[in-house]
Amino acid sequence: MSIPTYAGKVVLVTGAAQGMGKVIAQTFAARGAKVVVNDRVDDPRLHELANAIGGYAAVADVSKRAEVFAMFERIKSDVGPIDVLISNHAYMSMAPFVSYNHEDWWKVVETNLNGTFWLIQAALPGMRASGAGRIVVISSIWGIIGWPEATAYSASKAGLVSLVKTLGRELAPENIIVNGIAPGVIDTPQLQVDADAAGIPLAEMHQIYAKDIPLGRIGVPEEIAKTAAMLADFRMQALVGQIIQVNGAEIRGRV
Amino acid sequence: MKMPDSSSMTKSPIAIVTGAASGIGAAIASELKTRGWLVAGFDLRPATSDCDVVLDMSDYQAVAKGVDLVRQSLGQINAAVSAAGYYEMIPAAEITEEQWNRMLHVHLGGAFNLAQAVIPDMVEMKSGAFVGVTSELAIGGGSEDVHYAAAKGAIIGLIRSLATEVSGSGVRVNGVAPGPTDTPLLAADSPWRAPEYLATLPSRRLAKPEEIAYVVGYLIEEATFTSGEIISPNSGAVI
Repeated sequence: MSIPTYAGKVVLVTGAAQGMGKVIAQTFAARGAKVVVNDRVDDPRLHELANAIGGYAAVADVSKRAEVFAMFERIKSDVGPIDVLISNHAYMSMAPFVSYNHEDWWKVVETNLNGTFWLIQAALPGMRASGAGRIVVISSIWGIIGWPEATAYSASKAGLVSLVKTLGRELAPENIIVNGIAPGVIDTPQLQVDADAAGIPLAEMHQIYAKDIPLGRIGVPEEIAKTAAMLADFRMQALVGQIIQVNGAEIRGRV
Repeated sequence: MKMPDSSSMTKSPIAIVTGAASGIGAAIASELKTRGWLVAGFDLRPATSDCDVVLDMSDYQAVAKGVDLVRQSLGQINAAVSAAGYYEMIPAAEITEEQWNRMLHVHLGGAFNLAQAVIPDMVEMKSGAFVGVTSELAIGGGSEDVHYAAAKGAIIGLIRSLATEVSGSGVRVNGVAPGPTDTPLLAADSPWRAPEYLATLPSRRLAKPEEIAYVVGYLIEEATFTSGEIISPNSGAVI
């Protein structure tokens, strides 16, 4: 089978104003899809991206169920039903466990885990009506191996792993196929946040991460986007409920 | 105006696919051909590839010689896929020493023999991809599959360890773990073809060889930040 094209398909990518989401949106657009790009706030970057790829900008805070369902109504009337959902948005904050405040805990869980749950619930009627759908959930290597001081983030991302497995089982009989990706360290704006937090230059942050990756470098967003495009291929029905680890062979946990 | 011969302008990448004469191996060879690769097919019988090598994958020397032959006739090897294998169900208590050894030598030995013959050059080139075909049964286990699952499970250990060893040289090592797939390895009366079994699969059908081959094509060409990973297209049999 050749590289998939998505002509005639509507793809929703959440958290698309920057980083991986933006590149995922560009990748699907380059392969022919009509791409709906979502982010939490009405960010000029989101509209610039939508214009550049001939897509549609849809603002919603996905942690709020009502906002998600209202967004799907707008998309449905302006663009059409969603064929492919790429749940990519995420919120992260880190702190030692004992001092992790409960507002942050809930913001992380409500954005990452609840947000994906609402998105899939809202996407299902359209996918059922068209008789097929593809859902790709972006989890994280930390959702698999855990990470110190990232309890909320890791727990939310591990929750997504179980969500993918469960919905993989539940929806595959309807040809609605759910899979996930667990990226390792990828070159996104988050790394600048990490570098600032550590008080070091960005280049040094890259080196610190790369040192622990057998392939000797951090990944780039295109490598996640290609994986998402493979998992969303409508010709594939054999991959169900799987989490693809794209992490440069960073297999072992480390503390 | 005479255009230059395109074949002299762009060089096709070169892959070895074992078990290329039928089933999943044949589908992988075909997938790579579609993607513009030259393929050398290793099998017990001719595979109609760009360079057929007829051999038994459990024969260490024969594999080394076959790989040399491919280098001489096609050139430097960019990817290798270990797909040769066979399947038989036997209750654990009845597996003979000969059956046990044969299973391990063909599957685990075949993967090891191929890896040792191709990977040193890939490390030298600082580029290359190795894909081992293992099995969903190595992850989930199966009744009367003890020797098959043990051999396929050992391939997972080989892949993960080799990945940590050679990824620093830019060589990626990954695996694909198919679930029951519609190939000649599954006899017409195989329990994996029974309608009652298929009804338990979330996808409600066997995997197709083309789907397995597509994942292998992805691992070789597109999964440039993926190493040490096992992807299991298994129709939801093991999640």
